[in-house]
Amino acid sequence: MLRFLLKESGRWALALLGALAIAVAVAAMARRGQRFDLALGRHVLAFLRLDFGTSALTGAEAAAEIAVRGPVTLRIVLLGSLIAALLGVPLGLLLGTGRLRRATAPLVQTVSSAPVFCAGLALAFAARRLGFAVQGEWGPLLLPALTVGLAGAAAIQATMRSAAASYHDAPFRAGLRRLGLPALEIERVHVVPQIFASLLRALGEIMLTLLSAAVVSEWVFGQHGIADLFVHSLALQDWNMAAPIVFVFAAATLTAGFVGRLCCRLVAGTEP
Amino acid sequence: MSEPRVLLELKDLRVTRGGKVELEPFSLLLHAGETVVLLGEAGSGKDAVLRTLGGFFERDEEAVGRLRVGDGEFQPVARRTKPALRTAYLPSATGNALDPRMSAAEQLSRVLARKLSCPKPAALEELRGALARFDAAPSLETIQAPVARLEPAAVAFGLLAAAAAATPELLLCDHPMADLSPLAANRVTRALLEEQTRQGFAIVYCAREPHPVVRLMARTIVLRRGQVVEEGSAAHLIGGQTHPYTKSIFKALPADLARPPRAASRGEPLLQVQNLMLDAAHRRRDAIGFELRRGAAMGLVGEPGSGRRRLLDAVLGLERRPGRVVFDAVDLNLLSETMALRLRRRVAFVTSRDGALDPRMSLWDTVDEPLRAHLNLSRELASDYRDNALKRVGLASHDGRQAVSSLSPFDRRRLQIARAIVAAPLLVVVDEPLRALDAPAQSTIRDLLGEFRVESQAGFLVLTSDFSVAAALCDDALVFDKGRLVERGPIATLLAAPREAATKALVEAATLKPAA
Amino acid sequence: MNTWRRVLVVAGWSGLGLVAVAVMLSEFLARWPAGSERVGPPLLAPSAPFPFGTDLLGRDVLSETIYGMSLSATQAAEAALIALVAGALMGFIGARLPRYLAALLHWAVASFAAIPPLLLALLLVALSSRGLCAVAAGLAAAPLAFLRTFERARRESLAGHAAHARATGISGSALLNRDLTYEFRDALLPTIARALAAVAIILSTLSFLGFGDTPPHRDLGLMIAAARSSYFTAWWTAAFPALALMLLILLARLAAGLDEGERP
Repeated sequence: MLRFLLKESGRWALALLGALAIAVAVAAMARRGQRFDLALGRHVLAFLRLDFGTSALTGAEAAAEIAVRGPVTLRIVLLGSLIAALLGVPLGLLLGTGRLRRATAPLVQTVSSAPVFCAGLALAFAARRLGFAVQGEWGPLLLPALTVGLAGAAAIQATMRSAAASYHDAPFRAGLRRLGLPALEIERVHVVPQIFASLLRALGEIMLTLLSAAVVSEWVFGQHGIADLFVHSLALQDWNMAAPIVFVFAAATLTAGFVGRLCCRLVAGTEP
Repeated sequence: MSEPRVLLELKDLRVTRGGKVELEPFSLLLHAGETVVLLGEAGSGKDAVLRTLGGFFERDEEAVGRLRVGDGEFQPVARRTKPALRTAYLPSATGNALDPRMSAAEQLSRVLARKLSCPKPAALEELRGALARFDAAPSLETIQAPVARLEPAAVAFGLLAAAAAATPELLLCDHPMADLSPLAANRVTRALLEEQTRQGFAIVYCAREPHPVVRLMARTIVLRRGQVVEEGSAAHLIGGQTHPYTKSIFKALPADLARPPRAASRGEPLLQVQNLMLDAAHRRRDAIGFELRRGAAMGLVGEPGSGRRRLLDAVLGLERRPGRVVFDAVDLNLLSETMALRLRRRVAFVTSRDGALDPRMSLWDTVDEPLRAHLNLSRELASDYRDNALKRVGLASHDGRQAVSSLSPFDRRRLQIARAIVAAPLLVVVDEPLRALDAPAQSTIRDLLGEFRVESQAGFLVLTSDFSVAAALCDDALVFDKGRLVERGPIATLLAAPREAATKALVEAATLKPAA
Repeated sequence: MNTWRRVLVVAGWSGLGLVAVAVMLSEFLARWPAGSERVGPPLLAPSAPFPFGTDLLGRDVLSETIYGMSLSATQAAEAALIALVAGALMGFIGARLPRYLAALLHWAVASFAAIPPLLLALLLVALSSRGLCAVAAGLAAAPLAFLRTFERARRESLAGHAAHARATGISGSALLNRDLTYEFRDALLPTIARALAAVAIILSTLSFLGFGDTPPHRDLGLMIAAARSSYFTAWWTAAFPALALMLLILLARLAAGLDEGERP
């Protein structure tokens, strides 16, 4: 286990280093007439001092701006993850295992073909039609979070169905059935833990989906989180602002992947 | 003497699956404590009988017929009803009936707890007790390991212990000894028969090869494409078969092992192994040395895990070990990777290991590849060589564009021989050549390899746990046990007068005789 | 592949073939030239003369959807080819580089793969120009395609059949030839379709966020973005382009033979 932990930690640290290099390269685009390589060196040193520079447009400190906007995105992603887990996991277990998996396949294929912004617009349309009003601190975040949650639930579903499909024809299912174990117990003891292990292994990929969905939903629902800030700063070529956000998103994905792999090892006992 | 009690009677059982007839009307009368062997290839209908008796019908399956249990009335066979009998199922140890990643003991105790309606710790104790009754069986602690890490024999004993601990009236054996080494198969069969004597259960035993008929000496029903082609006592069938199909199956039985010794060496030295150490912990006296001449064949005989495979990997240079390996007068340890690759062109494989052939390749490409990779031949000449090789192994009528993944294990084995033929090798490595094959296929492969050996004049290294296979293909043998070379010599000498206990056990296992 | 899945793959490719025909005949199929305003009353509901209705500027939504589909499909095809070359092909080659070089390349690409493809595409468009959004989408989808192919190629090279081939003197180049032949046959079309599904989503989202083509070139994403102000009262202005977009993605998914659980 210790060896596994060390190996995974090393991989995680290396991957973070890679993401940092990309962020530094993005920041170096704001070179103000300086040669790119010199700008790159300057930004490496600045990043190591945790100095992300100032926004070229507002003049505000990039780190301070992210600290102000970050909680909005964090809330959307957290609430979205909760919705995704609450929707995706039971549906994944219900529709992904047993005979329902085949029967619901066409529906899942069709639903998976809807881009997130279409889902967001459909939700906004439905909310307007149903007269759904939002109040309180978390109220306005509900629809964006629901959009993120739906995208996340689709990703969770996909992973669970994929894992279930890979165990569908496993010979031990028929063998254990003949030996006298009920089908439900085979699913519970042998298949479901592996499906959860696959889910944990795919945590990084699921985070990618959640973050992409956060960008779209903040745009659709007019929320001013860091995802929205990222889109605006790119549109206006504010590289100092965009660079740390790129790193934050990449670090979130890599950390989710790292945690997922550790949990997979701890919970399922199998190396990812 | 009173007639034995009738356990069950099947009448006119007909099974169809997906519209295809799997079993023509089939009847069976089974007495308590009796053993019946159902013998046939895959698709012969024996599994349909097993499914009916065990009540594990498939979704697209239809079964009609009548069944009575004991002295009861005949009832129609129905998908949802299981015969009112305590049945247990004994699957093949190599057929992945258990989840390979999980502990064997854990899975078997769970099954047993269900069968006996008792808590799992109690089931575990039952399992321990059953294992303790068998000679040479592993301990409960040994089979706590994941199934994938256990030797097939240990899994077989575990499965038998679970079945026996369920105190069944009827034991359904689904090729339980298939792909076990003869020694392991003998031990497990002996344990099975002892348990049958102790508990008095009846056995329906499905087999694809005639070996279990000899070991069990039981009434045998030979099935082919859902129809009974011959039926009789073991003694009667072994003595002489009437139907040509039964004859083709019984041909797979090893011929008389006692035969005059052949010339041990014929040509120049091809492979010389000197002072090879298989294990870092080994001392100098454990170092291995042998010589294989052109046209000669050497058997590496031993149980799985006995060290024979390690020797093979070292000889082929796939694993570096201390010692000297000289192949075709060149020291392999001194060669660069590129030169070693050139030398390996003269090596061919025929193996039962899964995935030895690329499943994506077509039949033709598989045979063509060595020709294209190693020789500069015209397309016509290459296809001539290929067609001749395919004809020799009996694959000429197959569609050449067919992918390897769609071929049966028998066809894949024949394809490996065809690939070996066109490569014109100096050394042919044969690894458990008859494993996972039906009886007629076993005879064919044995004959093909024998002919190839005679015609090619290559040196043969035959890795096997069955002395009868070594006897059919080799002149000399090295016998391995527990990671060490324990005995060597001409096969005939080893068969006639084995010195070491391990050799004696292997020879005894290969000399098929009733296990009881 | 089972029969049902094969039928779906054929249906997917046939559908994509029909889309390609529609792209070529878009000028004939559409009743009005692209971007023709005031061809009917603004925000007219679907009716016989305008089956998909009209938008805020009185444009025929059916004609515009055909043009939008044509632009989206063309750009997606370009982007898919870029993803194929920059991702899948590089992954195939990368896995066969010397060990340390392959590990370095894998690390570099994995760093890009940690950024959501949509964000990467936005970044690339911002770094280049809007006219290159197809290239950006293709490059954004490339890291994941690279990693998938890399892993696949690694698995093949470690497979038992490769070890047996090497043990009988089959050289690395012969094994590469083997992989090229069979990967090309087995994986090329599914990889293209898979990339098509992935980039169609990225491209339409780019346009929706305002990073795609600018008018008069309107792809489906931009049409949906333009309908944001009107679709609460005139649903057809967004619904038909959205359905067309979903159809394109669904066809690509089917053609890729994706398992219902798989993502492009």
